[in-house]
Amino acid sequence: MARSLSILVLDDNIENADSLAELLSMDDHKVKVAYSGQEAIDAYRATPFDLGFFDVMMPGKNGVDSFLEIRQERPDAKVYFMTGYSAEDLLKKAMEGGALGFFGKPMDLPLVLDVCQQAA
Amino acid sequence: MTTQRKTPASRIKDTDVLLQILDLLPTSLFVKDENLNFVFSNEAHCKVIGSEAEKLLGLSDADFYPKEQAEKFLAADKSVLNSPEAREFLELATSTDGSTIYSLTRKARVVTSDGATYLIGSNTDVTEMKNNEIELEAKEARYRALAETVPVGIWHLHENGKTIYVNPFLLTLLGMTEGEFLATAPKDFLTAASEKGVMEMIGSTARFETDLMARGKVAARVLVVSSGWLNNAGVAGRSVMVTFVDISKVSSLQTVNDEITRLNAELSDKIKMLRATQEEMVKAGRMAQLGQLTATVAHELRNPLAAVRTSAFVLDRKIKGKGMGVEQQLQRIENGVVRCDDIISQLLDFARTRPVQRKLLDLDTWLAKVVEEEAAKLPAVVTIECMLGLDGLVAAIDPERMSRGLINLISNASEALVGKGDELHGDASFVPAINIESGRTVRGIEISVTDNGPGITAENLLRIKEPLFTTKSFGTGLGLSAVEKILEQHGGGLEIKSKPGEGARFTAWFPLIETLEEAA
Repeated sequence: MARSLSILVLDDNIENADSLAELLSMDDHKVKVAYSGQEAIDAYRATPFDLGFFDVMMPGKNGVDSFLEIRQERPDAKVYFMTGYSAEDLLKKAMEGGALGFFGKPMDLPLVLDVCQQAA
Repeated sequence: MTTQRKTPASRIKDTDVLLQILDLLPTSLFVKDENLNFVFSNEAHCKVIGSEAEKLLGLSDADFYPKEQAEKFLAADKSVLNSPEAREFLELATSTDGSTIYSLTRKARVVTSDGATYLIGSNTDVTEMKNNEIELEAKEARYRALAETVPVGIWHLHENGKTIYVNPFLLTLLGMTEGEFLATAPKDFLTAASEKGVMEMIGSTARFETDLMARGKVAARVLVVSSGWLNNAGVAGRSVMVTFVDISKVSSLQTVNDEITRLNAELSDKIKMLRATQEEMVKAGRMAQLGQLTATVAHELRNPLAAVRTSAFVLDRKIKGKGMGVEQQLQRIENGVVRCDDIISQLLDFARTRPVQRKLLDLDTWLAKVVEEEAAKLPAVVTIECMLGLDGLVAAIDPERMSRGLINLISNASEALVGKGDELHGDASFVPAINIESGRTVRGIEISVTDNGPGITAENLLRIKEPLFTTKSFGTGLGLSAVEKILEQHGGGLEIKSKPGEGARFTAWFPLIETLEEAA
C-alpha cells in the first residue's frame, strides 16, 4: 500500500465533494473538504497538502483563481481540476499556472485513484 | 431674147426671200462689218437690241448697251475677227426693258469673195437655263451649308471606296482632319462591318448601330443610316450617302440605366443576403443561447452525476466480497451515468459555439485507436473492420470532438445492426459488420462508416440530419446533428447514402489542414 497523502477536495457541490472525499479516505488518504475557493485558500495557508482536486466553476472565487492564489504562497502545490463542462479558457489558465491535469465530471474514478497512487 | 423664168429654188436664193426667212427665226442673228458696225439684224435681234433694222445699220453695240457690256462685246468681236474659227460666249446683256438676259452668242468671221470681212453672230437666250443653274447653285450652297453645320456625320462614299464628301461633324466625331480621313480605309471606321464588308453593309443596310472607330479606338457609338446605293447622274458608278448620329450619350444613358438595373439586382441580392444573415444571426443567437443553456445544464447535471458515480463506486467498494448481490444494480447505476454523460456530450457538441481546439496528429493512428476502443464496447456479434488509407498523414483536428463524432457514427451503425443489445436482425446466417475506411479525395479527408444493416428509407434519409429526429426508442435525436456540427466546425460535412435493405454508408469529410498556423 502506498503512503497516505494529505488531499484537499474543493467543490461547491457538497455531495460531490463529500463522496470523493469518502472514496479517497477509503484508500487511507487524509482528506479535507473545502466548499468554496476562499476555504481552500485558507486551508492551504494553514497547512500544505500533497494533492488537491479542485472544481473549476464555482460561485465566488472559481477553482482556477483560487489555485493561482495558493500557488503564490505554495508554489509546489499539486492540483488536478475537475470540470463538468470544458471551460477551455480557464483550464488553459490553470495548466499554464502549473496544474497537473484535469478530469471531466463524472470522473473516471479508477484513474483518480491511479494518480493518487502515483503521487504517493 | 429669151426670158429666163426664175425657178422656186433660185427664188429662195434670192436675197429678199432669204432675209424673210432669217426674220422668222427665233434665234437672233446679226452681221457686223470689220468696224463692228451692224450691217444686218434679223427681227429677233432687233427685239433684243430694241431697235428697228433700218435704224440699226451703221451703229455698234456701244450705241445700245451700257458701256461696260458694250466694251466686253466689242472685245469679244475683235478676238473673233482675228481668229479663223467660230467662238462661243456666254454674255450678260441688259435688255431694253431693263431686264438681264443671259445669252449664248456664237460668233464667226466671214470673208466674202470681194475681200470684205464681216462678223456674223447669233444669240440664244439662255436666261432661263442660267437662272436654273443659279438656283441649283444656291440650292447646292444651302445643302452644303446644312451638311457643314448639321450635328450629324455625313459621308458620301463612292462604290469604289473613294470618299466623295465628308462633313466636318463626322471629322470632329472621329477627331480627324479631312486628310487623315481620306487616308483611312472605310472598314477601319466601321469595325462592326469589317466581317461582312463595309460597302455591302452600308450599301444594303438601311440602319444599324455600331461603334465608330478612330485609330483603333472607339470614337463614338453611332446610329448609321444609309441611303442605300444611289445612281449618280453624270458620275460613273454608284455611291451611298451615309449619316452618323452620335448616340454615345444615349448609350451612356443606357449604360447608366444598365448600371442602375445591375445595382438594383445587387441590392436585392444584398437584401436577400442580409435577410439570410439576419436569420443566420438569429439562429446563431439562438445557438449561442442554446450553447449557454447547454453549458449550464451540463455543469449542473454533471456535478450530481459525478456524485452518483462516486457514491456508487464507494458503495461497490464497501460491499465488495460481502455477498450482497447488488453488483447488477450498481452496474445499472453506472450505465445510467454513462448514458446521461453521453447525452450531455451530444448536447454540448450540437450546441457548441466555441472554436475547435485543433491538434496535429497522425490521422490513421488516431482513427485506429478510437475504433479499437469503441469496438471493445460493441456487442460481440458485430464484426468491425478498419481500412486505413491515409498512410501517416498528419492533420490538425480537434481530436476530442472528432472522436466523439466518429464514436457516434460507429455506435449508430452498431445499433442499426443489432439494436442496443445483442438481438440480431434477420436470419442466423446474417453477419453484422461495420466497415471503416479512411482515404484522401479532392476535397480532403474522408472517413466512412458502412454497415450492412437494414438501411434507411428515402423518407427518413431526408430527415435524418434534423436535430431531434430519431427512429429509435432511445436517444436524443441529436447524434447525427452533433456529428454534422463537429464536421462543419472542421470545414467539412457528413454525407449519408443508403437504400432500404442495402445497409448505410456515412461519410465524414473535412479539408486537410496540415499545420496549426493554417488552421488559425
